Amino acid sequence: MDIRTTFARARRGFRDDLRLHVVAVASLVVAFLCLGAALLGVENLARVAERWTQSQHMTVYLGTDASESDIAQLRLVLDSLTEVAEVEYINSARARAQFAEQTEMGADVGSLPAEAFPASLELALHASANRTRITKIGERIKSFNAVEDVETYQDWFGQLGSLLDAGRKAVGILALLVAVCVVAVIGNTIRLAVANRRQEIEVLKLCGATDRFVRTPFIVEGILQGLTASVLSLVLLGISYLSLRGQVEDTVVTLTGMQVVFLGPLTVLGVVCGGGLVGALGSALSLRRYLSV
Amino acid sequence: MARVNLDGSGAGFRRTDSHVRGLGRSNPNQPAEKPLLVMEDVYKYFRRDVPTLRNVALEVKRGEFVFVTGPSGAGKSTLLQLIYRKHTVDSGRILFLGRDVARLTERSIPFLRRNLGIVFQDFKVVPHWTVYENVAVSMEILGSPVRVVRSRVAETLERVGLAGRGNERTERLSGGEQQRVAIARAIATEPALLLADEPTGNLDPALAIDILTLFEEIHDAGTTVIFATHDHALLQTSPHRLIVIDEGRLIEASQGLRAWSARMHSLSA
Ligand SMILES: Nc1ncnc2c1ncn2[C@@H]1O[C@H](COP(=O)(O)OP(=O)(O)OP(=O)(O)O)[C@@H](O)[C@H]1O
Ligand SMILES: [Mg+2]
Repeated sequence: MDIRTTFARARRGFRDDLRLHVVAVASLVVAFLCLGAALLGVENLARVAERWTQSQHMTVYLGTDASESDIAQLRLVLDSLTEVAEVEYINSARARAQFAEQTEMGADVGSLPAEAFPASLELALHASANRTRITKIGERIKSFNAVEDVETYQDWFGQLGSLLDAGRKAVGILALLVAVCVVAVIGNTIRLAVANRRQEIEVLKLCGATDRFVRTPFIVEGILQGLTASVLSLVLLGISYLSLRGQVEDTVVTLTGMQVVFLGPLTVLGVVCGGGLVGALGSALSLRRYLSV
Repeated sequence: MARVNLDGSGAGFRRTDSHVRGLGRSNPNQPAEKPLLVMEDVYKYFRRDVPTLRNVALEVKRGEFVFVTGPSGAGKSTLLQLIYRKHTVDSGRILFLGRDVARLTERSIPFLRRNLGIVFQDFKVVPHWTVYENVAVSMEILGSPVRVVRSRVAETLERVGLAGRGNERTERLSGGEQQRVAIARAIATEPALLLADEPTGNLDPALAIDILTLFEEIHDAGTTVIFATHDHALLQTSPHRLIVIDEGRLIEASQGLRAWSARMHSLSA
């Protein structure tokens, strides 16, 4: 079959059932927009999580009675650990100053007791350090006399991790729902298109068209619907991203230390190709049921 | 009935059979060749007890023009429908281009139809398509490249008297013009056999003569035509071979029968 003819016939189909196709694409855009937004959220969350795991750290709070030599000995031990990249001593005064700076409490910090700001060793860990190892190190360090408490932040990472997992699952389910929705909408559109074109299908058959010839433009229409809807929704998402970014950027940067980014090229490609594929599937399923050529 | 191909390949009519240009043209210099269409002892039952067609035998040679007539309900449409495999014979054989139409598999039917041009009483054009699209469709089915389709459609529209009207919406055309579009669609692929089932049935008498004339021109250019009609006026204007279907039987009309049928017509008119 001539490829130009196929597209000409699909175009003819779009022309003849224009309203039908516009309504279908519009509702699919909404579905893809939801998916795109969810993907955007999860991709950014994943970036934050990745960055934080790469900049893992641990805080070793020292007791008020810790002597200089205790601290020196502790530092020696810590330096010998392969997981530890860097050790920084922060005394009580600096802790108070840092807190005042971060919270903008200013002079009021002076009213808080000294115990609120224990001296600490801030450990920067190598990205390769895994969670169980970090927990183990934390426990070991805790047994030192000079050490009051150890914060490994592992709970927090655990929470972030499970949040990310939940987000990924949600996106997976959403993607599935969107796929089902696309199959249903396109399937329905093609069913109506088949009904509308009963007459021309009869003509085609009488002129010696094979089943494949009759079906092809419907499949092309399904694919084009899926592609159009996914591309349109990504364009809309991109526009909203660009216009909203300025407003939320500051907040997000302070919260996460990172900027919001748009969907990566692979995700974009995936959404568009997925749209086309699911469109073809919806059309094919519908033809199997409703086109008895 | 078992649907087995004569050659057992499962293919039946394939591209290679068809559309050698001029396949349907007769060559007067050649000795008598095999008939294009042969029906042997064909029976078709729509009801158990009474066959719609019985013991039908017919031979159509390349380049012939055959009228098929008979009262309403006689089975004219059925006869044609058996040829283009809308229906299948209950017994007997229909050989077209040397193959048994009755034994074609479903998959081969499109390839049979590509060798036929079919014109109907109700035109069967797609009303919201343009004239061009309606004519081009039969060639698009063959997979002809767009360039070829364009030039051939223009040529064909000229043949049927619709030159330059390709861009008009078909539903805006008059009945006679729509039938010309349908005829153009049927002949654009230069089929071996042109079947017409009451093509003038929906047209007024003057237009009917015009359309018949058009079929005769197409026939003169070499196409074999089977033309079913119960319009006696048409039968009388043209001295073509005439076949009458009566109570399911096919009768080759002699001159006497022709005169008889004319007299019946004048009595009833
Ligand atoms: N699909 C079908 N199912 C049942 N009976 C049918 C079918 N097609 C035709 N018939 C019957 O076969 C007989 C012949 O019908 P056909 O349409 O061939 O007649 P015709 O000669 O073309 O008539 P007309 O001049 O009115 O078009 C009729 O009695 C009709 O009822
Ligand atoms: Mg009839």
